[in-house]
Amino acid sequence: MPANGLYLFAVGRGLDPAAISGVEGIDGAALEVVVWRDLQAVVCAVDLTEFGEASLARNLEDLTWLERVARTHNDVVFAVAATGTVAPMRLVTICEGEDSVRDRIEALHHDLSAALDRVEGRREWSVKVYAATAAAEPAPEPPDDKAEVGSGAAYLRRKRALADRRRAASDRSLHVADEIYGALAAAAVAARQLPPQDPRLTGRSEPMILNAAYLVAIDEGAAFRALVQRVNETHASATLEAEGPWPPYSFATLDAP
Amino acid sequence: MSGVQQSTGADVETAALGQAQMSLVDLLDRLLGTGVVLAGDVLISLAGVDLVQIRLHALITTVRADLRRPEQPGDRHGS
Repeated sequence: MPANGLYLFAVGRGLDPAAISGVEGIDGAALEVVVWRDLQAVVCAVDLTEFGEASLARNLEDLTWLERVARTHNDVVFAVAATGTVAPMRLVTICEGEDSVRDRIEALHHDLSAALDRVEGRREWSVKVYAATAAAEPAPEPPDDKAEVGSGAAYLRRKRALADRRRAASDRSLHVADEIYGALAAAAVAARQLPPQDPRLTGRSEPMILNAAYLVAIDEGAAFRALVQRVNETHASATLEAEGPWPPYSFATLDAP
Repeated sequence: MSGVQQSTGADVETAALGQAQMSLVDLLDRLLGTGVVLAGDVLISLAGVDLVQIRLHALITTVRADLRRPEQPGDRHGS
């Protein structure tokens, strides 16, 4: 195995290599553009002692390493997306050399072109929706018959009522999430849902009920953000948070999302 | 109720990419869960977002240091 490989960040079209010449790749390596037909692959050299199979299996478990590579990857993709149409690669896509990169572009030329067609002139917006209150845990109703408080039947009744209320709150959340997802999707070119993030990662007590991505025309970004704001104001039971515009990570996929 | 969060201060500049404050969790959502999956010469198993889920504990204890606590046997992984 050669000592160096190429880390593939993205494949694009209409990129201006000069515009990304000042951007650093992995570990400060210079970015290179490998051209094949009408497509351009943005790569940088990486040491295979760090990015070979055995090392990757280990390094991917090291969160500090993972974050450093993910941030570098993201910085490059953002820089590239600012100069042309881009299809970001998944993290740590490594090829042996330029010929290998060209072979892959040739093999996937049709699909890559279709993906780039889908996202050209468009950006991704992330919209997360949180239930307005912390996980449904309504205050227990006062017992209607004090004598019954300690009895097994009363206990079961209270337990069942609580379960019913939780189920109803969860149904309402799903309904609200669907409604919001649809209302925003109507204003986007495409939409998809990602798995809601764990509350322990978001650091919020309210559950995330929707983790959506929207593909929106570049010049409609402001209108989309304003729409999110309006939907937020008309849904008292949910809090919407929009972030973007981002490169079209969730939409530049080889299978139509 | 809080308003919609702005990822960048420049609301008018929506053609520009808004990168500020992209969280690691969002980043991994995208870089591992979406994007073009192209089999490189170095083959690694990144089966979808599994890695994020498998590493949830590492993420929690590292990204959210304020939530750091002893591992609970009943902790669920993933979302």
